[in-house]
Amino acid sequence: MTQLAEKPNPISEKKVMTLAAALTDGMDIALERDEKVVMYGEDVGVMGGVFRVTTGLQGKHGKHRVFDTPLTEEGILGTAVGMCAVGWKPVVELQFGGFLYAGLDQVISHVSRYRYRSRGRWNTPMVIRFPYGGGLNLLEQHHDSPETYLTHTPGIKVVFPTTPYDAKGLMLAAIEDPDPVVIFENIKLYRSVKEEVPTGYYTVPLGKARKVMDGSDVTLITWGAMVTQCEAAAKAALEAGISCDVLDLRTLVPLDLEAILESVEKTGRVVIVHEANLTSGFGGEIAALIAEKALFSLEAPILRVAGFDTMHSPFNPINHFHRPEPAYIADAIRKVLEA
Amino acid sequence: MAEMFQILAPDGTVNKPELVPAFDKIEAMYRQMVRTRYLDDRFMVLAKKNQMGTYAQFGGQEASQVGSVMALQPGDYIAPMYRSTGACIAYGWDLHLVIMYWRGHPEGWRIPPHLNMLPIIIDIAAQFPHAAGVAMGLKMAGKKNVVMSWIGEGGTSQGDFHAGVNWAAATESPAIFVIENNGWAISVPRAVQSKADFLMRRAEGYGIPGYLVDGNDLLAVHHIASKAAEHARAGNGASLIEQITYRMRPHTTGDDPKAYRTDAETQDWIDNRDPIDRIRKFLILEKQWDAEREVALKTEVEKEFAEALEKADTYTKPDPAALLEYAMVNPAPHLIEQQQVLADRIRMVK
Ligand SMILES: Cc1ncc(C[n+]2csc(CCOP(=O)(O)OP(=O)(O)O)c2C)c(N)n1
Ligand SMILES: [Mg+2]
Repeated sequence: MTQLAEKPNPISEKKVMTLAAALTDGMDIALERDEKVVMYGEDVGVMGGVFRVTTGLQGKHGKHRVFDTPLTEEGILGTAVGMCAVGWKPVVELQFGGFLYAGLDQVISHVSRYRYRSRGRWNTPMVIRFPYGGGLNLLEQHHDSPETYLTHTPGIKVVFPTTPYDAKGLMLAAIEDPDPVVIFENIKLYRSVKEEVPTGYYTVPLGKARKVMDGSDVTLITWGAMVTQCEAAAKAALEAGISCDVLDLRTLVPLDLEAILESVEKTGRVVIVHEANLTSGFGGEIAALIAEKALFSLEAPILRVAGFDTMHSPFNPINHFHRPEPAYIADAIRKVLEA
Repeated sequence: MAEMFQILAPDGTVNKPELVPAFDKIEAMYRQMVRTRYLDDRFMVLAKKNQMGTYAQFGGQEASQVGSVMALQPGDYIAPMYRSTGACIAYGWDLHLVIMYWRGHPEGWRIPPHLNMLPIIIDIAAQFPHAAGVAMGLKMAGKKNVVMSWIGEGGTSQGDFHAGVNWAAATESPAIFVIENNGWAISVPRAVQSKADFLMRRAEGYGIPGYLVDGNDLLAVHHIASKAAEHARAGNGASLIEQITYRMRPHTTGDDPKAYRTDAETQDWIDNRDPIDRIRKFLILEKQWDAEREVALKTEVEKEFAEALEKADTYTKPDPAALLEYAMVNPAPHLIEQQQVLADRIRMVK
């Protein structure tokens, strides 16, 4: 389903990988290709991370390249700024998206500003990666979707891989990118999606959306695990004769506005779906951009399906009402068609 | 090297007879240790059967948690973390609510009015500044109560550890900060966190008393925690206690310790330094406990657990409306609008 144009040389070997394995493979190649790449965080070394995404990397590349740190997100993110200043390329892991907050001051006040503050003398080409998103009944703060704090922070790229192919290509692109890049790795997708992935080096460019399904009645715009939910809703709609254009944004910053507008101009009806809570969520930004650039293409008001404006519910038996389900998306599809 | 404070040697013999408290007090604490160990193991079974969510066991840390929390008096506050369930139970948290909390039932999350218990904190170290704030507030209100909070040795690397302890120290506020050094922060050993031999050494830098305690010696833990509580209650401010203990269980339900530590290491603690064995041996040596009472206690605890589980199992199912409750005291219009969205979603999945 990945855009064919981006596939690497077809003679390159392929292997079936989960999204987690594809991320690991990408990091492995980056460690191999660039001796300045180092990886650190909590439990990433010996254990390979709580989701085992850095499995084997310490063993293969050594403790000086991949290592465990003291337990402090401020420390992990703050030292990454300093490491960048002396020429390293840190790829740091936070154990969960909800623990970004413990180090957010470093991201907002420093990772994003160092370059601007020094008129280009000090760059911060780091990668910050973490598991995020709901659906597994873990503890509080293990299911947050904190993208808005980052998209609102100037200077940071925000990436959401949803297929193994993209995961590896976006990881390699992120590591090479000269700006700080944050990779949101969805905990539900880590091992639930599998596909053939080239074993060699390739990149997927930051800023290009992926067309998941082609349709003409309604545009579904989404990212992360909600891509799967939208796909399910779109497939159900198709049985009822409604065809949806499903866009996986892949990166929120930079945003593929062209792909969004092209689809909106075709369908005139838009549903935006995200897992993060509604208010000031990135869906609002997309809706504003559509209103600014394509208002007269719209046949119906834009709808958003999102989490409620509370903390992510830790209430296991009922939190599926919080996280958008295909049924809620299907309902929104109906509504934009009726409008 | 600092000396580790101990009253009971691992074989149950007494090092400092003059510091042994009254037997009824020891028995009350011993009972809580047996009770919490039993419950902790049952909770793990529930979690494995998917009848509870992810759960963080405290097995092996019973002396450390029970011995410290039982130094508190009525009206005192606790600021627990995810591994403090043992302390919370010994402090008085209703058992069916404990089960419901770990199940993610909204009513389990409601903290009963009879407990001065702050919410369980998952975000490592954040509870320390909260505890410092409680302590300062109690002091400003002229109250005689104190606050106790716990943290893992990994948590001491966080900025919030410093912010909390330093604050309470600087303001001479009545807080007892307990480091439960259980050797591991998931897969990361103690040595990765700090160059210092002991974390309690930081107390000197904060200008407060610091203690190094054998965390698997109930009497030692209780003695030092009581001393720190009296110090705080008397208006002398905060203390920092490091209790050397061991996480005899996996980090949580989802963890496999084989990935990072040897079974032999864990087995050595289980065989030779189990905190419950130690105090039981002492009580038996002192002829204060016997097999018959042990059996009676087990039966009592089993019955209590069965009743609590029954109560939790038959409790009214969570009302989805709970999702939008307590977000704001006076819900803003968008929250009221979302009540309709919730009602629609409930209808859709039916
Ligand atoms: C701010 C933050 N970062 C990371 C985590 C993930 N995490 C949960 S427990 C843990 C290790 C904690 O070790 P320690 O402080 O020694 O406490 P223990 O679990 O051993 O009781 C980590 C890294 C978290 N809960 N909060
Ligand atoms: Mg620990």
